[in-house]
Amino acid sequence: MIFQKISKQGKGELAFAGSLFLLGVFVAWDTSKMDIPQDNSIISPQTFPYMVAAFASLVGLALIINILRGNYGVPDGDAPGDPFTPLNLRTMVIVSTAIALHVILLEIAGYIVAAIACFWGVAYGFGSRKPLKDLGISTVFALIVYFAFTQGLNINLPSGFFEGILSNGK
Amino acid sequence: MANNFAMLLDGFQTAFTPTNLMFGLLGTFLGTLVGVLPGIGPALAIGLLLPITMTVNPTSALIMFAAIYYGAMYGGSTTSILLNTPGESGSVITALEGNKMAKAGRAGAALATAAIGSFVAGTIATLLLAFGAPAMAELALTIQPAGYLALIILAFATVGTLLGSSRIRGLVALSVGLVIGLIGADLQSGALRLTFGNLNAIDGIETVTVIVAIFALGEALYLASRHTLVPAQVLEIRGKAWMTKADFQRSWKPWLRGTAIGFPLGVVPAGGSEVPTFLSYGVEKALSKNKDEFGKGAIEGVAGPEAANNANAAGVLVPMLALGLPTSATAAVVLVAFQSFNIQPGPMLFQTNPEIVWGLIASLFIGNFLLLVLNLPLIRFWVLLLKIPSHYLYAGITTFALLGAYALNNSTFDLQVALAIGLLGFLFRRFGVPITPLIIGVILGPLAELYFKRALQISQGDWHILIAGGFPKVIYGLLFLVIIGPLVWNFKKKFAVKK
Repeated sequence: MIFQKISKQGKGELAFAGSLFLLGVFVAWDTSKMDIPQDNSIISPQTFPYMVAAFASLVGLALIINILRGNYGVPDGDAPGDPFTPLNLRTMVIVSTAIALHVILLEIAGYIVAAIACFWGVAYGFGSRKPLKDLGISTVFALIVYFAFTQGLNINLPSGFFEGILSNGK
Repeated sequence: MANNFAMLLDGFQTAFTPTNLMFGLLGTFLGTLVGVLPGIGPALAIGLLLPITMTVNPTSALIMFAAIYYGAMYGGSTTSILLNTPGESGSVITALEGNKMAKAGRAGAALATAAIGSFVAGTIATLLLAFGAPAMAELALTIQPAGYLALIILAFATVGTLLGSSRIRGLVALSVGLVIGLIGADLQSGALRLTFGNLNAIDGIETVTVIVAIFALGEALYLASRHTLVPAQVLEIRGKAWMTKADFQRSWKPWLRGTAIGFPLGVVPAGGSEVPTFLSYGVEKALSKNKDEFGKGAIEGVAGPEAANNANAAGVLVPMLALGLPTSATAAVVLVAFQSFNIQPGPMLFQTNPEIVWGLIASLFIGNFLLLVLNLPLIRFWVLLLKIPSHYLYAGITTFALLGAYALNNSTFDLQVALAIGLLGFLFRRFGVPITPLIIGVILGPLAELYFKRALQISQGDWHILIAGGFPKVIYGLLFLVIIGPLVWNFKKKFAVKK
């Protein structure tokens, strides 16, 4: 087995593969700690999870070896041998923040605010530089979705600040 | 056979009620709409539209899904041809020749051969489905739990190793899917697994959340990570979206060959539409009289793979309906759609819910026809969708995906899960790990455990039952070939190179 010098790309992938291996180990540990309410079945509820744990750590290990031998994964959309695209961390951080904001704001401020924040943030992250126009589009999008779901489909969404104004007098 | 025909006619009666017809029409429209949008494949399209049907009666909802299923396929080919950003693996090949044709000013012919080819393939394949699925269901009634387990393991192996460029990465994706499938209470004993004391996790992770998050959020994060400010170019359609007599003569054989390749590869668990479309392309290239046109915009290279893609989509429905085993991400979402109405696809489906299943099959025919008559004339409208600036597009997809994840149970927990799965989807794309095996793992993992336990309960704990009888032996034999075959092939290739 010939191990090759690990490139910067390989290091990231190695960390990824390592955590997948640890995931398998972790599943085995969690299974060993499992509370089994009654023990009258022929097959223990632990058998299958142990098999999954073994499989996961095994393929994780195989992936680690693969990477150490220089077989890196080909990023989605690239052809084998394409130059490695460095991460655009800035865009990524903006987009993930926008998604996280949606999750946080939904219960606190209601759907409309959460959706506006998310839509605007993702659009900004992907390079839109017309904040006011985007705000308008985000608001229209959020309002259409909100009313289509709550009024048209009877699916409840948190109304937040606008409770009473928008909740149809209920 | 005659009985099936009568049932199919009943199905048409179900599908032709005004309400159901309207839902079919709505489904073709929504499916095409979402399918045309770049970056949204059929699996995500159905996942996103799932909450919309929650308040509709099961028959109408499933008819709508059938229409969305085919609609998203049609929509995807439009995007591949005009924008060269295929929304799903099955359209990658279409983009190869289709986009070249569009660049040469032959977008209309490419779109027409894709649409008509999809219609021809879809109709033939749906007919095969209508008679094949009940037959398979009848056979499946005799399969024991051990046989089912063998089938699932075979599906794991094919989906895990045939997709993508790296076999080990497919298996890695599968193992993560299996782990996600473990989360929650064990069905028989109620023992909690990987829940970390979180009450929300007891029921397990919603499959739809996984699908929507890994496709929509994962893709958005991935594209963000590679973001450059170069907008994609939408090619214009000159003239009518129609084809000449010569185009037609060059297309009809590839349509039929594509159907013949696509359908069987959908029925056996060969892992989605990547393999059949690729095969069809290879066959057309080998048989074509115009070999030099390939790579520069050969119409056969659009006609064959598009037909194969649609026939494959119908083929995948056969094991999904008759065995309850989805073998592609899209079929997995359709299965979830059934389950959300407490209908379990499988051998009993044709007996317990004949109205729904035959209504569904009939509406596949209707949807296929509606798509043909609606889409080519409406092509300019669909093209407008491609001109939406990408930042608004991703903003819309992301926000709508989060809504889909939330609206399923009105649960913030689901949203947090979606965020985590989205990050996982990003990592998978970054490191070249395919997505579909993960989804198959999430769906089929719990089912594998169920059959595993049932088999061992029948045998009172004797593990020999797992390979007892002819059927499991045949399946494990196939499994052996699936695993060993490519290894031998690689070895031979290496050996030849060394010599």
